Parts: sequence; C-alpha cells; structure tokens
Amino acid sequence: MRRWPIVASAIAVLGVLSGAAAYQHVAPRDGERHGAWQEIAWPFPRDGWPAGKAFRCGTGACGGEVELYVRPKIGFCNCDSGVADDDEVDRVADLDLLSEHFAPLAPGQTVRLADLAGRIRAYDIKMAGGSRHTAIGVAVSHRCDLLVAVAHGQGEASELRRVVLDFLATGEMTRWAMAAMEGR
Amino acid sequence: MSGRFKLAVGFSILFLAGSGIACAQQQVIGAPPEALNMKLVGTSDLQARSGYQPTIHHQGDRWIAYIGHHGGSDDIPTPVNPQTGKAEPNGTSIVDVTDPSQPKYLRHLPGQEGKYESGGAQMVRICDGKSLPKGDRNAVYMLRTFGSEAHEIWNVADPANPVLITRIGGLKDTHKNWWECDTGIAFLVSGAPDWRTRRMTQVYDLSDPAHPQKIRDFGLPGQEPGSTGAVPTELHGPISTGPSGNRVYFGYGTNKGGFLQIVDREKLLNGPKEPTPENLRLPEISRMPMSAFNGAHTTFPMPGMPIAEFAKDKDGKNRDIVMIVDEAILNECAEPRQMVWFADVTVENRPMMISNYTVPEASGSFCERGGRFGSHSSNESMAPVFYKKMAFIAFFNAGVRALDIRDPYHPKEVGYFIPAITAATDKRCVKIGERDRCKVAIQTNNVETDERGYIYIVDRANTGLHILELTGAARSVAGIQ
Repeated sequence: MRRWPIVASAIAVLGVLSGAAAYQHVAPRDGERHGAWQEIAWPFPRDGWPAGKAFRCGTGACGGEVELYVRPKIGFCNCDSGVADDDEVDRVADLDLLSEHFAPLAPGQTVRLADLAGRIRAYDIKMAGGSRHTAIGVAVSHRCDLLVAVAHGQGEASELRRVVLDFLATGEMTRWAMAAMEGR
Repeated sequence: MSGRFKLAVGFSILFLAGSGIACAQQQVIGAPPEALNMKLVGTSDLQARSGYQPTIHHQGDRWIAYIGHHGGSDDIPTPVNPQTGKAEPNGTSIVDVTDPSQPKYLRHLPGQEGKYESGGAQMVRICDGKSLPKGDRNAVYMLRTFGSEAHEIWNVADPANPVLITRIGGLKDTHKNWWECDTGIAFLVSGAPDWRTRRMTQVYDLSDPAHPQKIRDFGLPGQEPGSTGAVPTELHGPISTGPSGNRVYFGYGTNKGGFLQIVDREKLLNGPKEPTPENLRLPEISRMPMSAFNGAHTTFPMPGMPIAEFAKDKDGKNRDIVMIVDEAILNECAEPRQMVWFADVTVENRPMMISNYTVPEASGSFCERGGRFGSHSSNESMAPVFYKKMAFIAFFNAGVRALDIRDPYHPKEVGYFIPAITAATDKRCVKIGERDRCKVAIQTNNVETDERGYIYIVDRANTGLHILELTGAARSVAGIQ
C-alpha cells in the first residue's frame, strides 16, 4: 500500500499549520483595528530585542494621534527586585527608540499590567526634526523578564497615560502580553 | 512495501536515531566527564554553592583558592555549612589547593542574604600587604563584594580565619572589580545610589586597605546623576594594565549592545573628577561598539603580541589585542549566540574585530542539554605560563574550552573539559506553555589559572570546583614540559 504520500501530506499540513500558528502568535497584523487603535508595522530597525507590536490611535478617543510600541524583553530585569525605580524605566522602556533626548516630567508611579508589576513615567521628548512630544514609558516585570511599552503624542501626559493604560488593559492585549512573556 | 515507503521509513529511523543521539547528550549522574587534552586533578564540592569568580593566590608556601558565590537558589536559599552545622547565605569559599589533587576546604565566609544575583559575594580579588604601598606587610587582603550592597576588605593572612578590615557600603549593586596590587588602585564596579545605572565605576585608592580613599566616580555620559535622555549600557567590568600600560579596558553590556571602552588610566585618576559629561569623556580614548546581539563580560588585554604571519612586515609585527567575552544569560539558546571576540586595538582610536570563537553547537547538541550554552568569562591571570599563549573560556554547558591564541587572528580550540554532573547539580528550566520544563546540566561559569599551570573552573549550578591540567597537544601549546 502506498502510504508514503499520506505521511508526507500529513507532515506538510502540520508544518503549514504550525507555521501559521507561529505567525499568528508573533507577527503584527498591519491594519487590524482594536477599537480606536489600529495595528501598524513595527517601525524601528532591528536591535538587540525582537520586534514587538505597534499601534496608532488617530481619533478623538485618544485626544489626538498617539503611537504605542510594546514588546517583551526576556532576561533583562533584576530577577528579585523587578522594576524598582524610575531610573530603571528611563533605561529599559524603549524611549531611546524614539529619541536620545527625553526628560522626565515628574516622578513615576507604580503600575500593574497583565498581572505584572512595575512603573510608569511621563516624559517630554524631543523628536527628530525638533518637535516636542509627550511620552509615556512603562516597564513591568515577571521574575527576570520585562514587558515594556512606550507611547508618544502631543496631548497632555495624564490623558496619554489614561488611553495607553486602558488599551494595554484590554483582554486582547493582556492575553498577547502573557503569551509573549511565557512563549520563549 | 514500495521503495518509496521504505525510503520514508528509513528517514523516520534516521530522525529517531538523531533524536536518540541528542538525548544521549543529556548528562547523567555517574557518567564520566567529557574531555580533550584536559584532565581532572581534583575537586571540591564548595558546599554545593553556585560559583562565580575563583582567584588563586600563592600565599607563603601554600596555594589558596578564594571563590565567590552567587546567592542561593529557590530550593536551597541558604545551604548548610557542614563545618558549622548552620545554614549560611552563600559568600566566599576558601580552599587550600596546595595539593590540587586533595583540595582542603578551609572556610565559608557568608555573604549577603538573597537568591541568585541578589545575594552572595560573587567577586573576589587578592593582594599581599607587602605589595601594596601602604599595606601591613604581614597581611594578605581579600577584596570581595557583599551581595549588591557593599565591597569588603578582609585580612586572610590566616585563610581559615579571615578578619574584616573595612567596608564600602550604601550601594545598589556591585560586580566585577579590578584591583592593582602594586599601586592599590581599585576599579570597583558599583551602583552609586544617585547614578542612573546599576553598575558604574568607583575608583578607589586601596593602597592602605584600612583607610580607603575615594578618587572619583566614573561612567558614561548619560549615566551620571541629573542627566536626562537615553541611558547607556551598564558596566560589566574593567581590567587595568597599571601605570606601565596606562590603559583601562572597560567592558559594557552582558548579552546585548555591548562595547569595549579604552581609557587613559592617568587621565582617569588625575583628571577633573566632577561627573559632568565633559569630565567623563576626557579620559576616553575610544569605544568599539559590538553588535546589538552581544555584550562584553570580560575585556582581557594582551598588548604587544608578536604575530608570526606578520613577522616580515616592515610595520605592524606586534599587535595589541583585547579578547572580549560575551555572557550568555538565557537557557537553551533563547538568545543570539554569546561567544568570544578578538579585537586589534593597536591603533587605539580605530579598534577592529579580527576574529572570533564559539563552540560548535552540533558537537554536543548543547542547545538541547539544558541550561545556558554560550560563553561567560575567561581566565584573567597574566602569569607567564599561559599569558598570550592560551586562553580558557567558561562556556556554561559546554564546560571550559582551551584556546591556542598565539595567533589571535586565528584562535583555535585545543582542548576542553565538561565535568560530570553530581547529585548537587541544580536544574535549569524553560517555559513550555505555562509549565516549566527542567533539565540538569553542567554550567561552567568562571575559570582561572595559577602560576603552576592548573586550571580552576567553578559551576553556576552548584557542582563545585574542578581543578584541571592540560595534556597532549594543549600542553605543548603552553610550552609546559
């Protein structure tokens, strides 16, 4: 009996399915809408960490155009103390992807995202071309791993913080964050 | 059964056999060590404490190994010291290795409470009082870290009964210090509370260990107090060539975005000390950035190496080389490969990578063995027996690797030793879905050599100390009879 074509087909189908599942898991789906937020392609060149997810909110719901970038950093955190202070947020929250030049607007605050604890801080940031934006940096951790997010826009820091945290707290983002942190 | 079906079955058997070979690479208790041109001389279990820096010191007519430890593990936060019968936070092991085949465990000096990198006393350096300009001639001084909070100096003239001399505390982290025994100048890797980084440099004059004199804080512009904007990668450790070489080689980063910084030692010590961006830039000669995929754990200088291939060249016969060792930090190859790089820094303001070395993964299915695979550190002894001839690299689950570096443009592996695991070897886990999947494998973390030519390796996963010697072709490379 010619069973080899069945075996080969089954392997091929499994390969395609697992590949598709992996793509669904990690790849940003450009253009997909999440309420007021639209997923966009990760805009930064490759660095030491794999790319994450990027979103844009251009409606009144966000008080003007806001962009948000979020990604895990596996094996980057002090395993015991986690994100212990504002300096840690300055260092790890990917603000340097936007610009080398940023200054905090105020001391940061503790925050919880997807059951992860850490800190959030607001910044004044000088973008390429010289325009000034408000940015929010978030860093939360689980043991030795980090989840970081950075957002920027031209609105008030408090409003930016609210819309970013609301979006990151949605069920879909929470599930993605937990999977990204555990799915190494 | 058709021919093509037989072919499919054949491939399946091959696949299964391949898996079997991979499984066979998993270490088991009782199996012999894996070795080429390196031989086990003696061992100490180090009370099953996680090993970091070993420093071997010729002390009178004895040879003493001082071994720093990380904090304890989740399962055993404070192992019991059989000598006292008490649970003690991991600190410093002091072992008499005069007879390397019969190491004698002398003393465990407890460190800071805390697990893994948050506790213990990882780093240790030793200077004789008689070599320090203002030291007590009868003393032997041990500089060690005390977890993340302090540096300590002990008198270990009687290594079984150390006496605390002084403490430099109030820090938010510590790490891989360097201490010049002929001047007393120490480059302490510290976390000064007001700096924006966990690890920067505090330069101290420890020529009189009882009275430490701070010279300055040093780091990269952007790390200093009050600065804003992006914060550069944190320091891992410096190595100084002293007043004669007048250079300090700083390694920044761990497994990402690292670089080598070459610093004028004299300007560092005697230049303006206020930590302004200008003053921090002043002693810097150059920086060599590495890939975002790699960091610099160890930056080991080897100035003036004669390169045989260039012997007839009118210029550039001798080259100043720095060996840079990255640190792997994730288990089971979950990161870009961390390995060894050789930089030619002869033209100091244009340093250039010239070669590299890694263990071939397929030679031991190391990504499947468990724990970390990749480099961590090298020996740092500049004793003539091996200096500029051989380097020893701690490569986690691939054990220690012996390299012939006489031609640093073409480094070549000439030996290796992967210790057997024991009942004390701790597991290493990765997440599979929501579950931990754990394996037990050797995790050779650090390596050092002594003037006699013995090689000392310690294990991060609690397997202890292994003392080795070269055999065969590797012994010839070092020129050992």
